[in-house]
Amino acid sequence: MRHFEEELDKLQRRLLEMAGQVESAIHGSVRVLTGRDEEQAQRVLRQEAHVNQMQIEIDEVATHLLALHQPRAGDLRFLTAAIKINSDLERMGDLAVNIVERAIDLIRRPPINPHIDIPKMAELTQSMVHKSLNAFVNRDAELARGVLTSDDAVDDLKDAIYRELIHFMESNPSTVAAAVDLIFVAHNLERIADHATNIAEDVLFLVKGIDVRHHAETAEE
Amino acid sequence: MRRHFEEQIAECNTRLAHMGAVAKRMIGKSIQCLVDRSAEGHDEVFRHEVEINSLQIEIDKRVISTLALQHPVATDLRLLVMATKIAGELERVGDQAVNICQNTASLLKHAPAEILTNIPEMADLVREMLRESLEAFVRRDVGLAQRVLDTDDKVDDFKDQIFFQLLGNMMTEPVVIPSALALILVARNLERVADHATNIAEEVIYAVQGRDVRHRREDAEQ
Repeated sequence: MRHFEEELDKLQRRLLEMAGQVESAIHGSVRVLTGRDEEQAQRVLRQEAHVNQMQIEIDEVATHLLALHQPRAGDLRFLTAAIKINSDLERMGDLAVNIVERAIDLIRRPPINPHIDIPKMAELTQSMVHKSLNAFVNRDAELARGVLTSDDAVDDLKDAIYRELIHFMESNPSTVAAAVDLIFVAHNLERIADHATNIAEDVLFLVKGIDVRHHAETAEE
Repeated sequence: MRRHFEEQIAECNTRLAHMGAVAKRMIGKSIQCLVDRSAEGHDEVFRHEVEINSLQIEIDKRVISTLALQHPVATDLRLLVMATKIAGELERVGDQAVNICQNTASLLKHAPAEILTNIPEMADLVREMLRESLEAFVRRDVGLAQRVLDTDDKVDDFKDQIFFQLLGNMMTEPVVIPSALALILVARNLERVADHATNIAEEVIYAVQGRDVRHRREDAEQ
């Protein structure tokens, strides 16, 4: 049993190491855009490749632990949460790469510079990611609930960015390609926020044993 | 004990097949609404989404209780993990159908524009991928799963061509910008449905051959 707990600890450390890579990749992808910093791009691509490897490895370790130790209750919930968080983190890595691709496209064109809230949206999204992971580390249900609330703010920001960019394109049709790129950046940030929300939901499941997906919570309580 | 496990797997598979059929119908219905410029079928899509969501939660619960009670190992364990993964993919397909309805609703606020491009054809291809990936799952058919992976490239070609055409429309005719943008997002939704079908096919190959083909394409690009 002692050995099993060590294995679980190791798995969590590995997952957090992967999370660190993912957070850094997201940060880097935003930097490519806001800092017009193309050198960051290569770093993000390398990190994503590493994240993919880690995902497969963590999946194998978690499945192996499930099979070998037949955990119950809390440990079982931890392992199923770990498998889900692992997959959310991997998808976040993919989304960071999507942002990089759009950003490279954007910084090779003349800046269109409309007053838009992408940096603000990026900041809020990154803080959601960070909080969801902290909630996981500290098994903090309150913090996890805070992440669920922030998701609405991210959606509102995205809608505002869409509206603004549509106006901008209508008055400057030559900027269409660049504006669509920015819309996709906003879209990818929104999806990263969705994955942070998934992680927060997994934390609530882990801590409270309740499934909050699809508002199933009310049915269960 | 063994029989109980097999019953649980069979129950999950029946539900997954049902989820898959519903997901495919949702994509078909949402695209039909787009082509007809009508939101009349949207409620049906939204009702199906609720159904798909509860099926996913039910499958997850079944898997977790089977894990806890039966302690399956090796192949059995892999089958159970696979069931929750496929349920997750199908639930996301349902989300995409809902997104297509939302993008259609924003399209309907604007005057009709003759810019539908090849979206209906792309949708047919994507639904076919979805069907094949589920059939590959039911029959444990690696060849069919491989075909799904190959089709994904064709979907990408469709998407690139549709994007190119719509960006052109937006530049030459700014009045269509909001409509064209909505269609770009629909093409993107369909591309993501194809990605989910691809993920299901990869799961099938992994389950049958024990070979992990995830990230295969990215590796090929590096």
